[in-house]
Amino acid sequence: MAKKRERLEVIKDIIMAIRENRNIKPTRLLYASNLSPQMFKEYINELITKQFINLDIDDKEKKTFSLAQKGNAFLEEYRTIEDFIENFGL
Amino acid sequence: MYVPLEFYQFIAQNKSIFRVLYSVIIAFICLIIVLKTDKLFRISSHQGIRYFRNAFFFYGIAFLLRALLISPIYSSLTKMAFEFFMIMAGFFLFYSLLWKRLETKKDTSSLLNPKIIMLYALTLILIVLDYLWGGYNFMFISQIILFLLASVISYNNYQTKGKEHKFLKLYFGVMVLNFVAWLANFIFANFLGGRLRWLANIYILNVIIFLIFLYGVNKFTKKKKVIDKEDK
Repeated sequence: MAKKRERLEVIKDIIMAIRENRNIKPTRLLYASNLSPQMFKEYINELITKQFINLDIDDKEKKTFSLAQKGNAFLEEYRTIEDFIENFGL
Repeated sequence: MYVPLEFYQFIAQNKSIFRVLYSVIIAFICLIIVLKTDKLFRISSHQGIRYFRNAFFFYGIAFLLRALLISPIYSSLTKMAFEFFMIMAGFFLFYSLLWKRLETKKDTSSLLNPKIIMLYALTLILIVLDYLWGGYNFMFISQIILFLLASVISYNNYQTKGKEHKFLKLYFGVMVLNFVAWLANFIFANFLGGRLRWLANIYILNVIIFLIFLYGVNKFTKKKKVIDKEDK
């Protein structure tokens, strides 16, 4: 059985998917994140609240996600954060 | 380790200076840890890092207040404030190991969520008890129990993930050292009052403990390679 992803890893995967696709549609991001719709919604709301990602809505009411500066910084420091958390058992 | 008697005599002659110096050194170590972990918290918003940072923020304030305890501006309020920050620092460090199992809601405040408020209340009770009985015994006992439990949790972490994350072994070791330091403090305060050799050894042990924390924080806050597509 595949190991359950840690919360931090899920966040990394979502942000990575957004970075690779620049402006990604919600449905596509849901598939890329490999989460249930309910869990996906929770993570996305958290990431928007924490200003890791932006929700952009165009004139035709089409929604896309883009990477915010804080999300980019998170990705750059991901290994450091992960190492710190794991080695201190936090 | 052999320590010459002259060393203890030298400390005895300059007791007050050493006490202040000791407190300031630990407060400085705490400041570095807080700055480094705060940077990491701001990027990750990780609650565990947040509680860990809070612990050293509180330790830093406690040790600064400790330096004041031997100064002319000492008062029972300073003593109580010192005790408050010292006990809460221990609670925060312990809680940083436990929060995952206890917190369900995301984004709770790290200083004013219901579980932390309960710890504040417990701390205030311990301070009042120490005030009524005189001394620091309730603080000592609470921290002895706390670090005994923290040692068990750290040992469990080391057993489950120790092969991949080598520092977990040292972190377990530092929790045991913390337990030993608080136990030594309790014994010194109740049975060995005035024996400077004991006190000096406790000071040295505490500095070593904080230096190990600093070593770990320094080691794991150094920037790693940026993740690429290949890492996926």
